[in-house]
Amino acid sequence: MKYVCDVCGWVYDEAEGAPEYGIAPGTKFEDLPEDFECPLCGVSKDNFSKE
Amino acid sequence: MEIKYIGVNDRITDLFEGQFEIPNGISYNSYLVRDEKIAIMDSVDLRFFDKWLENIKKELNDTPPDFLVVNHMEPDHSSSIRHLVLEYPSIKIVSTKKSFDMMRGFFGTDFDESKIVVDNGTALSLGKSTLTFYTAPMVHWPEVMVSYLDTEKTLFSADAFGKFGALDHSEDWACEARRYYFGIVGKYGAQVSSLLKKLSDLKIEKICPLHGPTLDSNLSYYLDLYEKWASYQPEVDGVFIAYTSVYGNTKEGALLLKDELESRGTRVSICDLAREDMHEAIEDAFKYNRLVLATTTYNNGIFPFMREFINHLTERNFQNRTVAFMENGTWAPNAAKTMKSMLENSKNLTIIDTGVTILSALNENSRAQIVALANELVK
Repeated sequence: MKYVCDVCGWVYDEAEGAPEYGIAPGTKFEDLPEDFECPLCGVSKDNFSKE
Repeated sequence: MEIKYIGVNDRITDLFEGQFEIPNGISYNSYLVRDEKIAIMDSVDLRFFDKWLENIKKELNDTPPDFLVVNHMEPDHSSSIRHLVLEYPSIKIVSTKKSFDMMRGFFGTDFDESKIVVDNGTALSLGKSTLTFYTAPMVHWPEVMVSYLDTEKTLFSADAFGKFGALDHSEDWACEARRYYFGIVGKYGAQVSSLLKKLSDLKIEKICPLHGPTLDSNLSYYLDLYEKWASYQPEVDGVFIAYTSVYGNTKEGALLLKDELESRGTRVSICDLAREDMHEAIEDAFKYNRLVLATTTYNNGIFPFMREFINHLTERNFQNRTVAFMENGTWAPNAAKTMKSMLENSKNLTIIDTGVTILSALNENSRAQIVALANELVK
């Protein structure tokens, strides 16, 4: 599943994770920490939508 | 310690960023900060590189600048970077990691030999004075930062507080700054609010934006407007009527509504979306606290200019206003329904149920509906 940032368009792909930000491949979006921020624009998790 | 303006006026471009009319041109601002070290704040559109370099040389003669601070990577402020590095090979480029990533995209290099990567709160000493950088993501690109010069209490604000209009043209600030803000930055109100909050502890006496004049007096006027715009609060108590008209009948309805409202002492602005600047209309929709949309049923939907207009509003988070609809149709009028559905995800809109349906041309019924709508709008 992929989730896209509503503000800047950055995509979180659960299969790929985000290794450069310390998030392992396969990490579910719901399992990202509550204080997770979009690495591109800094908004919170609730600004993401399922792609 | 001094700050010198070394920017340029663009009187050539007709459509800024490929879409915004700029009848009075635009300026690409760049500033020279001269202390023990010399910093250039942002560059200009490459088409004006020669003029910019001339401005730099006039100030510095043969002294090479030490730093180029890149607050924003949009090409109107960044496309001269490579040429400047060729001119001054020893210059260091100061910007965020995201900016250097973008430089790889624009120039095929991130100037590895010359780069100084800074983050939120990083300070750079120029001698007696210090520049401190604050990240400003999505105001209105992700890599943006602003820079604060402590001794001069000056904020280099990137595109924030910018306006259309070359600096050799004198005009009211707010109108063209508002058109610029809602046209270019409008979607990112939450991010602008965050930036204003982040900067609230700084003592700011001067704002140097990337377009338009330096602001150095009555700063609370500009900051208050930005607070208002960023939080989507209306500025003016009045009605903005945006209409399209195929044969003039919807226009007649819109003009009648305008007269009815004005006779009740209400301030009204009106716009033919097909003939006037769309971005002026967007600006007015955010400026007034009440909006009336009047259009024709067309291809079982609505007239294209109105569709475009509503899309512009919703993608900029249009909210916190009262909206009413006027529709026209000759056989199956359904424009109001279409317009309403386009706005259904917009936050905190008060929709006025008293609508107006014109069947081809105004008649006694639709005139009465317009009077009723005027009454409703001034309640």
